[in-house]
Amino acid sequence: MKRYTKWILPAAAVMLGLLMIFPLYTLVAGSLRSETNVFDGSLIPKDWLFDNYRIAVEQSGIVRSIGNSLIVSGTVTVVAMLFHSMAGYALARFRFPGQQVIFSWMLSTLMVPFAVIMLPLYLIVRELGMLNSYAGLIVPALFNAYGIFLFRQFYREFPKELEEAAYMEGLSLARTYFSIALPLSGPIIVPLTIGFFIANWNSYIWPLIITQDDRLWVIQVQLANLVGSGHFTPWNILLAAAVLAAIPTFILFFMAQRHLVEGIKMSGIK
Amino acid sequence: MKASRWSARKRQEWATAYAFLLPDTVGLFVFVFLPILYAFYVSLHRWNAFSPRAFIGLDNYAALLADDRWWHSLGRTFLFSAVYVPLLFVLALGAAVMVNALGKKTANAVRTMILMPFAITSVISAIIGVFLLDPRTGLINQLFRQIGWPAQQFLGSPSQALYCIVAVLLWINLGYNMVIFLASIKEIPRDYYEAANLDGASGWQAFRYITFPLLRGTSTFILIVTLIGSFQVLDQIMVMTKGGPVNSTQVSAYYIYKVAFEQMNMGYSSALAFALFIIIFVLSLVQLKLLTRE
Repeated sequence: MKRYTKWILPAAAVMLGLLMIFPLYTLVAGSLRSETNVFDGSLIPKDWLFDNYRIAVEQSGIVRSIGNSLIVSGTVTVVAMLFHSMAGYALARFRFPGQQVIFSWMLSTLMVPFAVIMLPLYLIVRELGMLNSYAGLIVPALFNAYGIFLFRQFYREFPKELEEAAYMEGLSLARTYFSIALPLSGPIIVPLTIGFFIANWNSYIWPLIITQDDRLWVIQVQLANLVGSGHFTPWNILLAAAVLAAIPTFILFFMAQRHLVEGIKMSGIK
Repeated sequence: MKASRWSARKRQEWATAYAFLLPDTVGLFVFVFLPILYAFYVSLHRWNAFSPRAFIGLDNYAALLADDRWWHSLGRTFLFSAVYVPLLFVLALGAAVMVNALGKKTANAVRTMILMPFAITSVISAIIGVFLLDPRTGLINQLFRQIGWPAQQFLGSPSQALYCIVAVLLWINLGYNMVIFLASIKEIPRDYYEAANLDGASGWQAFRYITFPLLRGTSTFILIVTLIGSFQVLDQIMVMTKGGPVNSTQVSAYYIYKVAFEQMNMGYSSALAFALFIIIFVLSLVQLKLLTRE
């Protein structure tokens, strides 16, 4: 029993961990091989061609599409945080007619699967004249009842005293929110920001549907296009492009893993 | 004086609340709620690349019932879910129990490794999937050859491709679900296990009679979210197989996408989408009912 917990279990756990990161290793290793060696099946690359990254940057169009992804994911995240925080605050703090109905209705939108609404959403966005535009990439991605729900939970447990004092001082309720509640919302904003950014960086189908113009392509669309497209991209260059595309979320992962885990836990608590 | 001040506060409260709720309410209405209503409306029309919109009642739904490709896609969807959901559940729970039993340093390292694939995107996971599982050049077949195993068809085989997609999804989603389980396990009071230990319970018995029952809420959550998600897997299929080979990975969500955006048949695609919505809705209700039954 002692030996089991001391050696065998940790060894098995580490094996599982290594198995999980093995595909990531093959991605990075493959990105450093020559075009002829990329599939050679050796574990350590022989070539170490860092030049692949220069070629990926110069030829694959990923610089512009990474820029687009940063603009879209960044804007969505910032605006969504503001909207959802305001809505969550109103639902948690104020008493007003229709409160319960609005909240239940918002939660009911969580049951709408994206795969089901992609066509009608496309038709609506087309009616609004937002096809092939940043607006079309950003606006429909903003609204998410989950964010509202989590902000509401947070503000329900947020101490009232400071805000009451501010109101007594003569601040309006809106000012009280912007100058007191919002600046103190870090514990919920940080994990949600990471979660929203990763989710939007990951987004592929929606941007694929509404952008025909390759100048508006986000990085996921660009990468998928490199895999399946007519013009042939060598696998070593493709893998280098994929590594570059993974960098922003990996930076988040390693710098803010604690917050990321915090956010995941929140998503699992009903 | 006091009464009017109170009502002034109330009026301000109402106005502020509605103003704060306005952006999200309008947005959720236009971009989530309206599309579902619109899907049903469009599904009652013939509307495709060749004909303008015309009301045809439930004809699209009648066509759906007779559409072999639709039933085939549903079959593939159910098969996918039937394999993916239980596997993910068992693996995530197992990994969580295992990591929980480790010393702090090892636990942190292993958790980080298992969660790491979560940091890449679905398209990148699909690219890695093709890189590893391509029948001719895939790295796994190269490794198989080196150790003398027969090469497999993987993504090239109608009987294996769906499981390759399952494997990629398991790989990127295991860590996320493990972390949720781990958080719930940590909330179980240690005394329970000490008491069980004193009573001479084995590790398995402690799991079976303490851990597992106390994770009921979390298990319900994970099963429902995973099941609903499994009906909507699209990204990896679009990049890895495009529904092939021989339609073996053409799940319903992908069939709906094809009918809408490749065949430009809006009316029919909407009927398919609405049918899928009903199926997902009913399934999640049934599952919720089953799992919360005491």
